[in-house]
Amino acid sequence: MSDQTCVELAKAEEILDRYPHEEPSLIQVLQDVHRAYNYLPCDVLVRVAEALGVPLAKVFSVATFYKAFSLEPQGDTIIKVCMGTACHIRGAGQLVEELERKLGIGPDQTTEDLAFTVKTVNCVGACAMAPVMIVGEKYWGGAKPARMETYLAGGTDDEN
Amino acid sequence: MPTLTVNRRSVTVGDDATILEACRVAGVEVPTLCNFDGLEPWGGCRLCVVDMSLRTWDDDWFKMVTACNHPVEEGMTVVTNSDRVVATRGVVLDLLLARCPETPLIQRLAREHGIEETTYQRNPEPTDCILCGLCTRVCDHIGVSAIASVNRGWGREIAPPFNEPPPDCVGCLACAEICPTDHIKFSTSSTVRTIWGREFEMLRDPATGEAVITKAQAEHFAKRSGVPMSYFEMSDRSKRLKTAKTFEELQVVK
Repeated sequence: MSDQTCVELAKAEEILDRYPHEEPSLIQVLQDVHRAYNYLPCDVLVRVAEALGVPLAKVFSVATFYKAFSLEPQGDTIIKVCMGTACHIRGAGQLVEELERKLGIGPDQTTEDLAFTVKTVNCVGACAMAPVMIVGEKYWGGAKPARMETYLAGGTDDEN
Repeated sequence: MPTLTVNRRSVTVGDDATILEACRVAGVEVPTLCNFDGLEPWGGCRLCVVDMSLRTWDDDWFKMVTACNHPVEEGMTVVTNSDRVVATRGVVLDLLLARCPETPLIQRLAREHGIEETTYQRNPEPTDCILCGLCTRVCDHIGVSAIASVNRGWGREIAPPFNEPPPDCVGCLACAEICPTDHIKFSTSSTVRTIWGREFEMLRDPATGEAVITKAQAEHFAKRSGVPMSYFEMSDRSKRLKTAKTFEELQVVK
């Protein structure tokens, strides 16, 4: 890999200090790194592999296996639209279309200002509330395209 | 030393033998794609499925297991050609053929099972990789781990980290040579070897000038074994010549 460091490694070092430097720590370290950077930068993966004594290929394998990890920078707010059967029937497709109109991005894309990332997920297990949309940590049941502004603003009033 | 029956033939094998080994002792052929004697069994290709029953079980009760990684037990009964085993193997080959429709080895195995054309959707982007994991396992085994499986589901593939030339690779070709379908491509000239998009400098025999081994591989082995680098740069021909010379000097051969 390149010798140049293009991201700040200090946060990664701090995370690595919290765990024993051995293979079983790998996933926890990656989770913390993901939380700290909002994605898994390649330089950090190289550093993690070196620190934990795990081959880089293995680290990359784990990082690409789990959907929770992303190798691309993510938006500050992650929007998940449930595409499960119930949500699909009750109009999840329209929610995705509305997001595309409002933000100009489709599923698995990130806005240029790194504010939002849109993802479609298969089922969040809240079919009774269909269609479900998760903005950041907030769950919106019975989501309607017309209320998209509220959802994106992280609306405080519970309309569920 | 457990004794078991394989297709009604009685065999005795070592305590830590697997069903696959017992089958071989019994002279029964069980097809497999992901098994290699020097590596830990993995059970990835699912081609070696057999029916298995223990003495304590009901007479007609059989369980399907992968022979390669199932340990033998005293009084075990193994059937490798029951209808459901043959059918299951057929499904596995059918699926492999859908994934790798142009791979000669898979075509041959499928044909041996009476499958000429896959009944599933043919892979629009034919590949030779059957994801048997032999390459990554052998790479781990020699202590390099330059490649691994990346992504998952239908997007899974074997690749070096970041799909870039792997920094840990030593260019030993173990992955390419163990690959049952010759999916991993490489080229070797008298000076350079290329594999996984990376170029390796070849060490050449000082006497004959033949390219023997990559410098990186020699360094890796020298470090692991403590054997001096000069040992690795000698080609087989060179070693034979040297031995012949020694014998000549000793006047064993005239």
